[in-house]
Amino acid sequence: MLRYVIRRLVLWVPTVLLVLLGVYALAFYGAGDPIKLIFLRAPGDVAYNPARIEAIREAAGLNQPFLVQFGNYVLNLVQGNFGNSLVSGRSVWRMISAAAPVSAQLGLLAILLTAVVAIPLGVLAALKQNTALDYAILGSALFLWAIPAYVAGPLLMVLLIVLLPDITVPYGWGGLFDVRIILPLLVLAFQPIALIIRQTRAAVIEVMTEDYVRTARAKGVPELAVALRHILRPVLTPVVTQLGLIMITIVNGAIFVELVFGLPGLGRLTVSALLNNDYPVILAITLIGSFLVMASNLLVDVVYPLLDPRATDARATK
Amino acid sequence: MTASAVLPQAIEPPVSLWADAWRRLARNKLAMVGLALIAVLLFVAVFGPWLTPYDFLSQNIDARNLAPSLAHPLGTDDLGRDVLSRVIYGARTATLVAIVVTVIAMVIGIVLGALAGYFGGWLDAAVMWLTDVTMSIPNLLLVVVINTSLKPRLANWMEAQYLETLNPIYRNSIWIDFILVFGSMALITWPPYARLVRAQVLSIRNRPYVTAARALGLPTWTILTRYIVPNAVGPLIVAVSAGLGTAMVLESAFSFLGVGVNPPMPSWGNMISDGLRVWQHYPHLLAAPAIVLGLATVAFSFLGDGLNDALNPRGTK
Repeated sequence: MLRYVIRRLVLWVPTVLLVLLGVYALAFYGAGDPIKLIFLRAPGDVAYNPARIEAIREAAGLNQPFLVQFGNYVLNLVQGNFGNSLVSGRSVWRMISAAAPVSAQLGLLAILLTAVVAIPLGVLAALKQNTALDYAILGSALFLWAIPAYVAGPLLMVLLIVLLPDITVPYGWGGLFDVRIILPLLVLAFQPIALIIRQTRAAVIEVMTEDYVRTARAKGVPELAVALRHILRPVLTPVVTQLGLIMITIVNGAIFVELVFGLPGLGRLTVSALLNNDYPVILAITLIGSFLVMASNLLVDVVYPLLDPRATDARATK
Repeated sequence: MTASAVLPQAIEPPVSLWADAWRRLARNKLAMVGLALIAVLLFVAVFGPWLTPYDFLSQNIDARNLAPSLAHPLGTDDLGRDVLSRVIYGARTATLVAIVVTVIAMVIGIVLGALAGYFGGWLDAAVMWLTDVTMSIPNLLLVVVINTSLKPRLANWMEAQYLETLNPIYRNSIWIDFILVFGSMALITWPPYARLVRAQVLSIRNRPYVTAARALGLPTWTILTRYIVPNAVGPLIVAVSAGLGTAMVLESAFSFLGVGVNPPMPSWGNMISDGLRVWQHYPHLLAAPAIVLGLATVAFSFLGDGLNDALNPRGTK
C-alpha cells in the first residue's frame, strides 16, 4: 500500500512538471518580451532608452536561455513566488491569496452541496428505476449537465428579479452566510450534481444485481438497511473517483459564476488578467487550477484502494 | 420462439445492429426531442441567410433596444441590429465551430489512439500520458493561455504575410479568430477520442483477421487503415454527439469571455456577455441568446444520452 502511494507520487511529479513546461513555453515564446510588455503600457523615458531596457533585462535574468529561465521560475514557484503582475506590478502571489478564499469557500460549499443533494437523489432514482420519478430525476440531471453556467446564472437572475421585484440584485460577496451566495452556489453546483446523480444511479443499479444484495433481501433484511449497508458503501467508490472531473467543472464554472455574480475570486481575476494580457497572473492561475485537478486525481488514486480493497492488488502490482 | 419459428410467417426478418439501435433510440422521447431540436438548428444554420429578416450587421439608430415586436420578433440591440437575425447567424457560427473542431479533434484522436493501441510500448505510454496531462489542465484556462500567448504572434505573422503578398485574405481578422478558436479547442478536446480508439484497437489488433492480414505480409499502414481503424471507430458515434455539444458550449464560453469569435461576427456567447451589461433594462437581449444556447446544448446532451443507451443496451431494459 505504502509502495503504491509512493509510486503514484513519483509518477505524479513529472506530470506536474510537464504541465508547467508546456504552459510556461506557451507564455515564453508566445506572449513576447515581458520588459517590453511592461513599458509599452507606461511609455515614459524608459520606453525610448534601449540601453536601460537591456540593463533591466539583464538584472531580471531575462536574457538567459529558455531552460535556465524555466528552472528559475520553477525554483521560485517552489518558494511560493509567482512573479509580479505586468499591469499593477503587485506580487501575483498576493493577488491570488487575496482572491483565493472566496473561490475556495464557494467551491468547497458547492462540493458539499453536491454530496448532500446528488447521492440521495441518485440512490432514489436507481431504487425507483424506470418509473416516472426516475425519469424526472435523470432528465433534470441531463438538463442541468447541459446548461452552461453563463446561461443558467443570468437566466436565474432575471427570473428571480421578475418573480420578486423588491429583492436586491444578488451581486457581490458578503461571506458564506450572506443570502447573495445562494444563487452563485446553486449555479456552480448544477453540473457536479448532475454528474454525481448519474454516477450514483448507474452504480446502484449495478450493485443491486449482486448476489450479496439478493442474499440480504432473502434473509429478510429491511429494505432501508439493504440500501444503506449493502448498496451504498460499494457505490461510494465509483462516485469518489469523479472528484477530478468535479474539480474541473468547478474551476471552469467559477470563472463564469464569479463574473456573472460579481464575486471577487480567482475566476474574476482570471478574466481581468485575460483582458489585460497579464500573463504572469494567467500562468499562475492555470498552474493552480491544473494542480488542483491533478491533486484531486492523485487523492482519488490513493484513497481508492482504501474504499475498495479489491483494487489494491491489481493496482499495486501494475 | 422455437415453436412458432417453425411457421414461415412467424419468422422475423433479421434485424441489423443499426436498425435495432434506431428502434431503441426512437422509443426514447428525450432523445427524439433532442434530435428534432438539432434538426432545426442545422436547418437554420444552413439556410440562415435566406431566413434572416434583416442583415445581421445593419444598424438602425432609430430602432435601438426595441422590445420584441412584429417587425423585430426578438427586439433589437443597442446598435439597432435585429436580434433574431443575429441569433440565426450565431447558429451558423456555433454549428461551424462545433463541426470543424469535432472533426479536427477526432482526426487527432483517431491517429494517436490507433498508433498507441497498435504499437503499444513507449508510444502508448507517451500518448496516454499526454491525454492525462491535457485532461488535467482545466480546459478553459488552457485555451486562455493559448489565446493570450499565440494571438499576437499569429496577428503579426498575418500582417507580415499581407505586406509581402498584398493578399487581402491576410487582412481579415476573422480568420485569426477562427484559426485560434478551432486550433486551441481541438487541442483540448481530442483526448476522449484517442482513449476510445485506443481501447478499441487493443481489442481488435489480435483478432484472427488482423493476424491473417499480418501473415499475408501486408504493410502496417494497410493493416491499420483497412482492417483496424474502420472497425474501431463505431463507438465514436456517442462521443461525437457529446463532442459536438461540448464544442458548441466551449465556443460560446470563449466568446463570452472575449477570447473566441470576436464582434462583429455574431456568436451566442458574446451576445450573452453584451446582454449581461444591460439586462436590468433590456432582459430580452440576454434571454434570447441564452435560451437558444441552452436549448442547443440540452438537445445534444439528450441525443448523446439516447445514443449511448441505444448503442450500448447492456445497462438499460
